[in-house]
Amino acid sequence: MGEILEFIFAPILIFESWRFGMEVVISGLLAGVMYSLVALGFVLIYKASGMFNFAQGVLVLFAALNLAGFIGLGVPIPLAIILTIGIMILFAIVVEYLILRHLVNQEQIILFMATIGLAFFLSAFGETIWGSEVKKLDVGIPQGRFEPFGIQIQYLELTAGAVAAALVICLAIFFNKTKIGRALRAVADDHQAALSVGINLRTIWIIVWAVSGIVALVAGTMWGAKSGVQFSLSEIALKALPVLILGGFESIPGAIIGGLIIGLGEKLAEVGWGPYVGGAIEDWFAYILAMVFLVFRPQGLFGEKIIERV
Amino acid sequence: MSATERQFGDVLLKVDNITLRFGGVKAITDVSFEIREKQIFAIIGPNGAGKTSMLNVINGFYHPQEGTITYKGNPRQQMKPHEAAETGIARTFQNVALFRGMSTLDNVMTGRLLKMSGPALRYYHQKLANLPVINYLTYPAMWFGDLILDSLYWGPYQREEVKHRKAAEEVIDFLEIQSIRRTPVGRLPYGLQKRVELGRALAMEPDLLLLDEPMAGMNLEEKEDMCRFIIDLNHEFGTTMALIEHDMGVVMDISDQVVVLNYGRKIADGTPNEVQADQDVIDAYLGVAHEADLEEK
Amino acid sequence: MFYREAGQFYTTYAKDQGIFQLKQDKYGLWGLLFFAFLVVPIGLYLLVQGGVMAGTTKDYLYNSILLLLLVNCMAAMGLNILTGYCGQISLGTAAFMGVGAFTAYKFSTGMNYRVQKEDNAGELVSTLVPILPQIDNPIALILLAGAVTAIVGVLFGLPSLRIKGFYLAVATLAAQFFLVWCFSRVEWLYDYTSSSTIQIPLLKVLSFIETGTITFGMPDGSTKAVSVSGFLVAGSETLKVPDGAKTIVSASGFILTDFSKALSSPDASRAVTGETFRIYPVPETKYIFSLAIVVVFAFIMKNLVRGRIGRAWMAIRDMDIAAQLIGIRPLATKLLAFAVSSFFCGVAGAMLLIFYLGALEGAEAFNINESFSILFMVIIGGLGSITGSFLGAAFITLTPIILINVQPAISDVFQDKALVEHIQFMVFGALIILFLIMEPLGLSRLWQIAKEKLRQWPFPY
Repeated sequence: MGEILEFIFAPILIFESWRFGMEVVISGLLAGVMYSLVALGFVLIYKASGMFNFAQGVLVLFAALNLAGFIGLGVPIPLAIILTIGIMILFAIVVEYLILRHLVNQEQIILFMATIGLAFFLSAFGETIWGSEVKKLDVGIPQGRFEPFGIQIQYLELTAGAVAAALVICLAIFFNKTKIGRALRAVADDHQAALSVGINLRTIWIIVWAVSGIVALVAGTMWGAKSGVQFSLSEIALKALPVLILGGFESIPGAIIGGLIIGLGEKLAEVGWGPYVGGAIEDWFAYILAMVFLVFRPQGLFGEKIIERV
Repeated sequence: MSATERQFGDVLLKVDNITLRFGGVKAITDVSFEIREKQIFAIIGPNGAGKTSMLNVINGFYHPQEGTITYKGNPRQQMKPHEAAETGIARTFQNVALFRGMSTLDNVMTGRLLKMSGPALRYYHQKLANLPVINYLTYPAMWFGDLILDSLYWGPYQREEVKHRKAAEEVIDFLEIQSIRRTPVGRLPYGLQKRVELGRALAMEPDLLLLDEPMAGMNLEEKEDMCRFIIDLNHEFGTTMALIEHDMGVVMDISDQVVVLNYGRKIADGTPNEVQADQDVIDAYLGVAHEADLEEK
Repeated sequence: MFYREAGQFYTTYAKDQGIFQLKQDKYGLWGLLFFAFLVVPIGLYLLVQGGVMAGTTKDYLYNSILLLLLVNCMAAMGLNILTGYCGQISLGTAAFMGVGAFTAYKFSTGMNYRVQKEDNAGELVSTLVPILPQIDNPIALILLAGAVTAIVGVLFGLPSLRIKGFYLAVATLAAQFFLVWCFSRVEWLYDYTSSSTIQIPLLKVLSFIETGTITFGMPDGSTKAVSVSGFLVAGSETLKVPDGAKTIVSASGFILTDFSKALSSPDASRAVTGETFRIYPVPETKYIFSLAIVVVFAFIMKNLVRGRIGRAWMAIRDMDIAAQLIGIRPLATKLLAFAVSSFFCGVAGAMLLIFYLGALEGAEAFNINESFSILFMVIIGGLGSITGSFLGAAFITLTPIILINVQPAISDVFQDKALVEHIQFMVFGALIILFLIMEPLGLSRLWQIAKEKLRQWPFPY
């Protein structure tokens, strides 16, 4: 009986050593911020085009590959960042021209499949250009750590948190205070109504894809600085999906809070329960957590109760 | 024909003091009425009066916070939609809700699904369900047997399918949609889609048929056809119907009893003639002059 | 001109509800089956015998293309039931296939569990103890695999009552990642091997392998060491020639064993005592068995989807609210779809292990990319179409093979091997997007259009 209780409360028991516990919490929250950033790009696209953009994870990889590639070529860092942003915008335009405009009014599942095809293409394309070996990405984030109260915190973790917060604030201003932002919200609400008041859907799509490309660049930079730029980046980015179902496909606060919950939850579970069952439960814990959560609250964290109509 | 000549049966459905809220919004407030067997019962009212919500409450799609519904003498409060269907309530929709990927015939056949329990399970219900102990073992076995028969499309199952096909064809004949039997319903014009939807509901052989704006968006000819079907159904088969309709001419012609809703409240209830004469109804439809306006004059 | 319904009338509803509306379709299918079951194996055999085709080419055709194609057809049918007919998107297909494969493995090896004891020297000694008799009949294994997978599928289908659309799709990812994690972490599943690899033992139907001194069936009365008869279907087994035996090999009935690698010489007088040899089925057997399984399940699927169950599924897919209001129980209907779909996927997974791969590593063989490629098959083939499942499986299976076979041409231009692989990926991704843009309803829609055109030909209307 004692053992069972010990197992059940294992994620809490790690706080017996509270410093260790806090370190787990911080690294969990950091991972959560990363997931949030991927999820954020996803939410933007879903809101504006109803497209379940599976390629967002690969977009993160692609952006990071470009940045690392340019820096590797000896381009100064600010210029490299600007070049990469340019590429992401160009990419958004190309996607709109070659894919989106041909798939208007298709069913969502078709759009979804198209983004999977895009993911295939993009990951191979990025690696064709920049090679598939692991690349270091150094954009000048200070290495090393400091230890307030004996808790080890990496500068990288602090930076990531700060950058994410800044990004969210910028996006909030962009959405709420600018004309484009208002158009975006109109499109998110009702495509046809937005079209009827003269909003150009195609321009909106390009903007949204470019913005989520830039969000992906931020996520990719943070992640790349932590563990190098490599293909597995796009697989880690899959974790943004449970974040999305937790937070809702259309909610930006949902993406952020959901990301933090998932990141924290899976780290605690891994450290607490992992040793009992053979480890690596990080692989699936987030999905199960999100699924169980959804069963009890289908509208997600921030969704309103769904009233079905006939 | 005037309503007084017609003979109605017992009360089929009794709605008692129903109140339905969505959050803070009251969609229906304290509405009561009775539908008798063999009646054509109309619910009318301006847009947003809560008519469709009322139908949704009757067939268990919405759950009212207060009040009771008594159907066939049994009171009920919470019921799932498929349970309502099992007790014989069928329904058509304001915006056509057909199964777009399927043909007309298949759509009508879905109406038979409730009656197609599968030969093995029917045998179970007839012969085995009352046996003690055994029924817990036989039910899954019979269910599984049906699945096997289904997957082979063979023997008793095929006969079952043919039997229900005949029933479906009768409905198709009645509604004169033979020629579009194999057409996917997504390709049909709107008027025909409404007819197919009625066919699907009829295939259920319902005791109570709810029609949500059966004539909306139709041209005159289609409306006349639909009226003919409704009246034929009622006179020949004695089907009880509750319908929502905006075309007052139609409502006043075919219905036996009319309930008028406005802002979720019942403002009138009676025969078409009574309702037409009711001052509240006239106000609701024509709008009433505000007192302030009157004072200015 | 020849492909039309003129003159074909049905006088009973039973006939009118047959699988084919047109006699031509029926004959076409029979012709196709005849081709697949007889013309292909015999034709290839004759080609090899006649020296037109190398024996290795034939084996490559069977082992690398046809068997994989059949497995994928099976999986695509399974997913099409769930996604195409019942409208529930699943991204966990590969994991369900994995459940089937591991079930087949555990039953074929007798459900071993490990007992650890300390021996005299104080070291831990592990022994595997079977708790069930080993099942060596592939059909039984496949059915068991389907059944167990159906149960697992129902468990992971439970959230579908409350979650819809893409939310459900992501929820099925939980099945994908959790089950694949099990395949590499739950040691019992792969009998505690360090590589977490499972290997199917010899499976056979109506077959007897006898070792020892056997005189049965040999007219000259000579002593036999090993006699193999009947169908060997999958896997392989290494046998040892028993002591005192002068020679071996009697493949009676169907020639389905290949001894050529076991014995350097078929010379009957050579003593081979103490040598070992391997028996395994020829690819034709695997092919015929897989084909038969796929055909039987396609028939079952067709019957299900044209009957009451299929209508209930499609009703839920097209408009779930209306479906409920005509009395369809949503949970039961969806769970049945999950069960049947998982059954098919489980069978596909068992086939993958038994017929195609023989040995596999769960985490690798059933990873998420596999799930996606099956989803691709279903979408490109056409949702809600059995023909579409086959066409889609063929497209997705054959495209990479074709790309690999044109690889030499590309390799001449680009020397880098990784680059060539990347180009394959890019072509594949681009093809998919192109396809979705050109015909979002899938290959089955193209097929339908072609048939309608053919029906009118050569007249314009």
